[in-house]
Amino acid sequence: MSVPVRVAAPTALVLALLLALSACSATRTTGEGGADRRPATARHPVAGKADAASGVVLRAERTTPTDIDLRWQGSGSGASGHVLEFATEESGPYTVLQYLPPSVTNYRHPDLMPNTTFFYRLRDFDGPVSEPVSVTLPKGELTAADEDSSHDWLPARKDPKRTAPGRPLRSTGAGAPTGLKAAVKHANGILFTWTDHASDEAGFLLEARTRTRSAYEPVVVLDPDVNSTGLITLPTEKEASYRVRAFTYGERSNVVRLTTGESTGP
Amino acid sequence: MLTRFRALTVTGAVCASTFLALPNAVAEVEPGGWTSVSPTYTVQERGCGQVDGLTFQLTCSTASGDQRAERRYATYTGGTRQFEGYFRISSLSGTRISLKQTFNESAAGPYFMLAVERGGRLYAVHGGDTLSNAGTVGATVRVNTVHQVGSSHRTYINGSLQHTYSSPGGSFYDKFGAYRTNSGNGPATVVWSNVRFWRK
Repeated sequence: MSVPVRVAAPTALVLALLLALSACSATRTTGEGGADRRPATARHPVAGKADAASGVVLRAERTTPTDIDLRWQGSGSGASGHVLEFATEESGPYTVLQYLPPSVTNYRHPDLMPNTTFFYRLRDFDGPVSEPVSVTLPKGELTAADEDSSHDWLPARKDPKRTAPGRPLRSTGAGAPTGLKAAVKHANGILFTWTDHASDEAGFLLEARTRTRSAYEPVVVLDPDVNSTGLITLPTEKEASYRVRAFTYGERSNVVRLTTGESTGP
Repeated sequence: MLTRFRALTVTGAVCASTFLALPNAVAEVEPGGWTSVSPTYTVQERGCGQVDGLTFQLTCSTASGDQRAERRYATYTGGTRQFEGYFRISSLSGTRISLKQTFNESAAGPYFMLAVERGGRLYAVHGGDTLSNAGTVGATVRVNTVHQVGSSHRTYINGSLQHTYSSPGGSFYDKFGAYRTNSGNGPATVVWSNVRFWRK
């Protein structure tokens, strides 16, 4: 089941296309059924009603001519987190801005394209996590030798030796990844490996809880069946606890739209 | 303007309807008289660069010479031009790979180069400004550039303005793909999608 990287990319795109097809049709249903269809303007932003299938209500406010603040509520469904997406045409394509833990209920999208209509929506994601591992990296930055060394360990991989018979996440809540290991590769590099027990995952999230954070936050998103990935850390991740989550996507929120004003920059 | 988080996304964020029927004339991106255009292009493969449709690969780790896999679009000489595209770095064992360039043909050199470091930091090669940490492997990232020839060049990453550069007059062209910068090396695989151009 090992898939070379150059084969994995088109495969991932096909999977993504299938996901996107269902996603787009769901959006149209939401828009036609519940969201406010009036044209949005700078003075009258549209904050649509929640999709009947989702308890999350997303609202948007233009705080400066080119900054939009997003807030949401009603996320008490027990989801593992939310995916925030944006587009500049109602039909998409939508681009993910960030995967967010459930404790986060707001986001600022700053310095936006002027005189442009933005569309936003949220999706739940949910799934079980592995046991965490703690990692402390060597102090300092990469040496020249580190920099020039092979980073073949970095790309995400699917190793059949670490794939167990799959269990459905949606119906059983089982299928948590097991055996998460972290191998320090250099001052900014960690190789994570785990065993995949899920059969219906949309992907995996590598999550980190740094010394300054009280909760785990997603740092890498991976395709289905992946069971190893390298991570080049940010300075705040020198000492952190990591875990991996197998996840599926849940319901969508309403779609909100807002038009930016003139740029105030130079 | 450095964003101190690693933004995440997946390929599933791209709606399939866009593949089937792209809007031709209406683009709600900086409205004001944009006209959709389809400039011609040539494919450039040098060294270990390989192009397959919109998939651009550097298959070697060679840290010297010309290693490129790109599309080079037709030259323009005035007015305002907009580029929009989405890229996903599907693998990056190398580092400092240029993804998108606005090339100043009059000055015979790249004028603006958007590149990615190992780990996902997107940066402007000239000046080294960090634009975003949104280039994480696996992430789909949206790029818009607006170039007013003789005035300015603006780069938006996922809708947010991340770089502004003054522009001389002259003739320019757009390039995108995967290209080894002077201090970089492959391997790298970059998949682009939904590439569009406008002028006014």
